[in-house]
Amino acid sequence: MGKQFIFLFLFTLLLNSILMGQEGQQRVTGKFDAASLPDFFRQLEKKGSFIFYYKESQLDPVAVHLTVDNMRLSDVLQKALEGSGLFFAVSGNRVFITKGTQIATSLPEDFFGSKNSTERNQPTNLITDTLLTTVKRAKATESKLISFGMKSGKKNPENNIITGYVRNARTGEPVLNASVYADSLHATTTDAYGHYSLSIPSGNSQLSIQVIGMKDIRLQLAVYADGNLDIEMDEEVRTLKEVIVSGRKTSNIRNVQMGVERLTIDNIRNIPTVFGEADVLRVIVSLPGVKTVGEASTGFNVRGGSVDQNLVLYNDATIYNPSHFFGLFSAFNPEVIKDIELYKSSIPAKYGGRLASVLEITSREGNKKRISGSAGIGLVTSRVHLEGPIEKDRSSFIFGGRTTYANWLLKLLPDEYKNSRASFQDINFSTSHKIDSNNNLYFTGYFSNDRFSLDGDTTYGYSNRNVNLKWKHNFSNRLVGIFITGYDQYAYTVDADRNKVNAFKLGFDIAQLNFKANFDYFINSKHSFDFGLSSIRYQLHPGYIEPNAASSVVQRDEIRTEQALESGLFLTHKFNANAKLSFSSGIRLSVFNYLGPNAINLYPPGQPITESNRVETKQYGKGKFIKTYLGPEFRFSARYAFSGTFSMKAAYNSLRQYIHLLSNTTIVAPTDIWKLSDPNIKPQRGEQFSVGLYKNFKSNTIETSIEFYYKKIHDYLDYKPGATLFLNHHVETEVINTRGKAYGLEILIKKPGGKLNGWISYTYSRILLQANDPTQGAVVNNGDFYPANYDKPNDITITGNFKVNHRFSFSLNSTYSTGRPITVPVGRYFYAGAERVLYSDRNAYRIPDYFRSDFSMNIEGNHKVNQKTHNSWTLGVYNMFGRRNPYSVYFVTENGLINGYKISIFGNVIPFINYNIRF
Amino acid sequence: MKNILLPIMGLLVIISGCREKYEPPLASLANSFLVVEGNIDPVNGQTLIRLTRTFKLDASATLVSESNAQVRVEGDDNSVYSLNSTGNGFYTGGLNLPTMNKYRLHIKTVNGKEYLSEFIQPKITPPVDSVGWRQTNEGVDFYVNAKDPSNATRYYKWDYEETWEIHSYYNADVIYENDSIRYRIPPGENVNVCWKSGVSSNILIANSNRLQEDIISEFPLLRIPKADERLAVRYSILVRQYALEPDAYSFFEIMKKNTEDIGSLFSPQPSELKGNIKCITDPGEYVIGFITLSSVERKRIFINRAEIQDWPFGQDCPTTTTARKKDSIKYYYQVAGLQPYTVDPATNIVFFSSPRCIDCTKRGGTLTKPVFW
Repeated sequence: MGKQFIFLFLFTLLLNSILMGQEGQQRVTGKFDAASLPDFFRQLEKKGSFIFYYKESQLDPVAVHLTVDNMRLSDVLQKALEGSGLFFAVSGNRVFITKGTQIATSLPEDFFGSKNSTERNQPTNLITDTLLTTVKRAKATESKLISFGMKSGKKNPENNIITGYVRNARTGEPVLNASVYADSLHATTTDAYGHYSLSIPSGNSQLSIQVIGMKDIRLQLAVYADGNLDIEMDEEVRTLKEVIVSGRKTSNIRNVQMGVERLTIDNIRNIPTVFGEADVLRVIVSLPGVKTVGEASTGFNVRGGSVDQNLVLYNDATIYNPSHFFGLFSAFNPEVIKDIELYKSSIPAKYGGRLASVLEITSREGNKKRISGSAGIGLVTSRVHLEGPIEKDRSSFIFGGRTTYANWLLKLLPDEYKNSRASFQDINFSTSHKIDSNNNLYFTGYFSNDRFSLDGDTTYGYSNRNVNLKWKHNFSNRLVGIFITGYDQYAYTVDADRNKVNAFKLGFDIAQLNFKANFDYFINSKHSFDFGLSSIRYQLHPGYIEPNAASSVVQRDEIRTEQALESGLFLTHKFNANAKLSFSSGIRLSVFNYLGPNAINLYPPGQPITESNRVETKQYGKGKFIKTYLGPEFRFSARYAFSGTFSMKAAYNSLRQYIHLLSNTTIVAPTDIWKLSDPNIKPQRGEQFSVGLYKNFKSNTIETSIEFYYKKIHDYLDYKPGATLFLNHHVETEVINTRGKAYGLEILIKKPGGKLNGWISYTYSRILLQANDPTQGAVVNNGDFYPANYDKPNDITITGNFKVNHRFSFSLNSTYSTGRPITVPVGRYFYAGAERVLYSDRNAYRIPDYFRSDFSMNIEGNHKVNQKTHNSWTLGVYNMFGRRNPYSVYFVTENGLINGYKISIFGNVIPFINYNIRF
Repeated sequence: MKNILLPIMGLLVIISGCREKYEPPLASLANSFLVVEGNIDPVNGQTLIRLTRTFKLDASATLVSESNAQVRVEGDDNSVYSLNSTGNGFYTGGLNLPTMNKYRLHIKTVNGKEYLSEFIQPKITPPVDSVGWRQTNEGVDFYVNAKDPSNATRYYKWDYEETWEIHSYYNADVIYENDSIRYRIPPGENVNVCWKSGVSSNILIANSNRLQEDIISEFPLLRIPKADERLAVRYSILVRQYALEPDAYSFFEIMKKNTEDIGSLFSPQPSELKGNIKCITDPGEYVIGFITLSSVERKRIFINRAEIQDWPFGQDCPTTTTARKKDSIKYYYQVAGLQPYTVDPATNIVFFSSPRCIDCTKRGGTLTKPVFW
């Protein structure tokens, strides 16, 4: 106690603006080599006319080596005290050093009662801008107090709203889905922009931020007013020791939403895929409740929904065909993906237009600090990505590109495709720009292209093109708005030119222009609202054919362009009744206008829609509302938490879908066409009821859940036998409306982090369809319920990743599922000169069950920090047991004999290797 | 790390094909359904209907014909025309039907069940425009051209009969008889020239819906692979053309898709085959078949060996010789299974070869010359 110690305890609050704004401006120049902090303070005292006040027992033995040139005293102190848990305050030439408690050197502005409450809130912003830069570096963060408002000032009658962004300290990218909670009672997660809003009662509380892959942050808050708090998180560097996953990673328990699956790109990378390249869609189908009819099929089925009932969004852009090359690859470059989110049950009211699910794929924001990138070489594809700041800490870009050399791969396909050629590319480009702390702009561009020729004559090509622009605006701490406008397009063409008489070119395309406005309004910890509107303007060219050579006699034909406007007005109220019980109630009013110009075939009501029943074809002019469908959709979910690790949820959803994929092939092909609802084709409607139990074990390191669902689908489209769907001027005569019912049980045991991580999922599910209306013209299986093509009742998936050490990890993925239903031959008959096959009822039998295991290893190069590039290898085997899983079973008449064949895609052990380099 | 890579790269080469035989693990359908096939020709009087039954999948099951049924054509003017059973489930009749009426087929099987088709409007088929062929590296491709200047047909179906002449490798002038050899008496005992025939076994249909004119251009009928026996001497194909109604076309299209096209990656799944015949005594009974009512147009073409190039049809016919002794001849005929084809009068040596090189009936031919040849 050699020094004089003054203990000024006026306030526990700090208004940092005062000390940064008015004090500590004195300039200091010199070289300091101090063995201890008191020594350092003495050296400073000699430089200027400062007097330091401190308690020596509070000072850790720290040596200070510092060279400063004309630096402000405050900056010098900040540098020197960084990480020590010490605070400083400057008043005149006096410097107060304290631990745990900050000293304010002047009275708050409203100490004597300010009438203007808005003034009171303003200084909090300054705190965010200045003090928090030290928070992120603080080692003993719990000892640091961050204050908003004044204890003695007028208290906010409601809870206080703290908002801000959570960012990665190294790259400046937003951190998504981080759990942000105060005293484990008031919790939220960050959104796709890393933004959060949290309601905190007045008083002291502990704010925790947790997300897998980042170091946990705990901050001491004293909150008496609304405020902004931006937080930077450090990446978790895994050491050789077991990573200790901290508790309270409880978003699965706390979240009101049901049936939501979230995966980061790191999760996705850990799952072996057929050619070793991280694949978003392949991982999706390993989740409970998600199925696929086989390896080579576009899309996936969620809880008994068909492929076209999934809304696939890439940064809010609708992707109509999310896969390349018969569905063997997903059309998303893993280098630019940040994470994916699949909504299977509680689909937020802000989404509409599809019955089964919403798959949100979010790309990373570019590194805001420095240029970096990566390149990878695999057996089938090569990819590069580059990202970096445009303006440091404010705007950044990220670019990704992929191309393929897949021709050799076609040799794996059955012999009849030997002369095939295939190629694909995709390009992603995104930028983000921070205009100011309340305004952010995001641009996304996406382009994918496929070309393949199966027999050397006919060339198929398809492409996705998407652009959109997003503006995120914080109106206040309580109201955040996101405005999105974009253009999405999908098109395919088929060219054939070998036969000069029949040479043709045909095609299809769909384009949509969207606008979305989405507002989050946060009232308090009990009530918040999410509302807005969305509008999609469709323009769809259902098909055209034209001659492709002068000698061709192919007649030009084109189906009339379809136009429509799909709009939605939505409102969600999130209500936390108490710490245990929460509700989310949403309503979406969806309106679909089928627009002119067009010509509509009219059929007498109640009669089968057949060509012979057509009464007339009515013409409609431009902009006429030909048909309007309108209906409310309800989205409700509730959660009751029995404890911090055990909760129960229930949800009801109803949805409407106005766009249909017309496909009568067993699997969805890239050449299937989309069709808008029109006066003859009703929208599909679906309802789902689900209930689930969620329980975490072992300090929340193991998450388990069990969910049941029951679903009804109305007016789902199926097809009359032998239906012609393309270039049909009366396609309504080829479709039948069916009813569907789906039900199932999903069990998931997940260990999200740690040295050993992964999940085990089991699904029992059924999807049954019924076509029993004879006035529709076709009755299937005597009008009984029959299983849909993708009805695969039992499904077990085990996915695990084990990190041996920092540089080496391996992954194992095993999946078993019931074979999908098929229609099989049950007899023979003789007709037209040959023996022919008599088939069973539709989907009365099943192909053999599916089982596959994959294995992969990741080997990282050394991790020396000063190295210019980091490289890594991924190698492994797909289908390690070489099981020939039947993809399809079919029967043909060959030389008068009926032979059954089964095709296996990847029916061998397929080794793969990938090389990646990062810079 | 690099050492691990080499064997893995090598493994890639081992990836092979992935199509395998598949036996469905299920019991075949026990029921056998009636199968009705045929066309009622209202103009040229060549109506041919065949009644058969479906049969089980396993290899031992064979085709069962439905014989002794009563089959008749009924007009919507109450006219009735009976067809005659000609065996093997075939029923024929020389009908000449007024084309302004509609007609249906009525079947009463021996087990007492009755079947009835829908009423069908007679359809007049335009003449076959031409039947052509083209030689390629793979063989000879045959095609048909069709057109209807009135644009009224649009849907076409074809079938064909092919006939070809075959010659024995050796022109046999002797015959084994009563343990010895004597000269054959021409022409009755000649066995060096035969004719064989076959019928189409694929569903051949096409439509001109996408074309401005009602033209079918070079619709492929069949390919005779290079060096095939059929073009070794002379070949003829008779193509029959039928105009179809759209619903008949779609029946044949589904049948074709279900039984000939399926199995590629994007093939449609099998569809229910709904014909135009129903069982009226048991409405739940499934009946296969679509009866058409179209006039039949025919076109026959011939190809001589001289018209094609490079047709390396060959027969493997080694010769064995022996002295004209009774025991030797008997041994070669009865034990070795050979046949004599000639005798050298100077040396009295008998030349033997295998029967199929000498007797064309052993290759499935018939000695009767077709009337059109």
